[in-house]
Amino acid sequence: MLTKLYVLLSALIFSIAVLAADNQYVLGVDGLACPFCAYGIEKRLNKVDGVTDVQVDVGESLVRVTLQEGKTLTEERARQAVDEAGFTLRSYSEAGGETGGGDAK
Amino acid sequence: MRNNNHLLSVPVLVGALLMAGVSAVQAAPNTFNTALPVAQGQTIWREQFVLRERSDNGPMDRQVSVQALGSVLGYGVTSKFAVFGMVPYFFNKELDVTTPMGRVERDTSGFGDISLFGRYTLYKKDYTGSTFRVAPVVGLTAPTGDDNDSDRFGELPRPLQAGDGAWDVFGAVVTTYQTLQYQVDGQLLYRENGRHDGFARGDETRFDASLQYRIWPRSMKGVPGTPSFVYALLESNVIHRERDDLGSGTDADSGGTQWLLAPGLQYVSRSWIVEGTVQLPVAEDSNGDAIEDDYIVRVGFRRNF
Repeated sequence: MLTKLYVLLSALIFSIAVLAADNQYVLGVDGLACPFCAYGIEKRLNKVDGVTDVQVDVGESLVRVTLQEGKTLTEERARQAVDEAGFTLRSYSEAGGETGGGDAK
Repeated sequence: MRNNNHLLSVPVLVGALLMAGVSAVQAAPNTFNTALPVAQGQTIWREQFVLRERSDNGPMDRQVSVQALGSVLGYGVTSKFAVFGMVPYFFNKELDVTTPMGRVERDTSGFGDISLFGRYTLYKKDYTGSTFRVAPVVGLTAPTGDDNDSDRFGELPRPLQAGDGAWDVFGAVVTTYQTLQYQVDGQLLYRENGRHDGFARGDETRFDASLQYRIWPRSMKGVPGTPSFVYALLESNVIHRERDDLGSGTDADSGGTQWLLAPGLQYVSRSWIVEGTVQLPVAEDSNGDAIEDDYIVRVGFRRNF
């Protein structure tokens, strides 16, 4: 009985963890060519509601954005943030490639 | 003390500091502007220490030494339009000159004239890992610095004052092409200097060019995230100044054309830039006995907020 309860509890915790997983997006950004530039993009994307982390890969011209559970980053909002930083959104996709992934131009 | 009026170093330094102040963004050149963006709502703070030594080989053996700090704040109003404010502080502006009374030293210190300017990105073309931009710059300099300081010999000559007492305006067009490996900037600038109390510094036209080449990391292959860069710099400044207006005429021993080259290094991270250059005269064609540059050292930093 105790074992069954333990398995059930573990399954419940795992399910909650999966449901609570952050949403991640990968943005392709054109015009990004130096470390100092990266700060402006981080600043604008961090103003988006629910964003918890922004990682810029300068060499690949990619920006990985992590949002809280239940929050989403639309392509329009991503484009707006990148534009406000002075750059151009090239591509937009949800991490894992389940949605989006198209050329943003 | 006739030749005290020929102390061209101060206005030229102020002009150079102003242009240095314009370059308050990104991995920009050290001696002039860039067209790279300031993000909307982003603030950039820059400090640049300048040591400038000038002299002549004439009988008065004039030597001018200037130590100054240029402080700049820039703010991105939109992604295309940024405004900047710049104020120079002169720790010391000193003239040593031989006179009939012997060797004379005159100096001053204090805040100089404040400049305000705006930069608008007129054209941009972004590529993956590179960008090309064109941005005009328009600004003015207000007569906020002290322009009537004096010493035991009387009022200091106008060019030696911390401020020139006049309103000046300037405009420039800047182009930038930046890749992950290198950056090329060019600027064409015209500066019209106002007149105050019978004196006006000569108007200035300058053409600046800069090449920055990334020397570290040597390759971006397999380098994740946002690594810091180290750039080697080589900047060129061709500056032409008209003669100063003095009373109802012009000062024959003022103005001219000079060409400076500036090698340097720049460390660039996400939030900081630390940089240094030495500007050296390659060619100088000064009017009359106008004093000439020996060297200009620039060391400073920039910070993102």
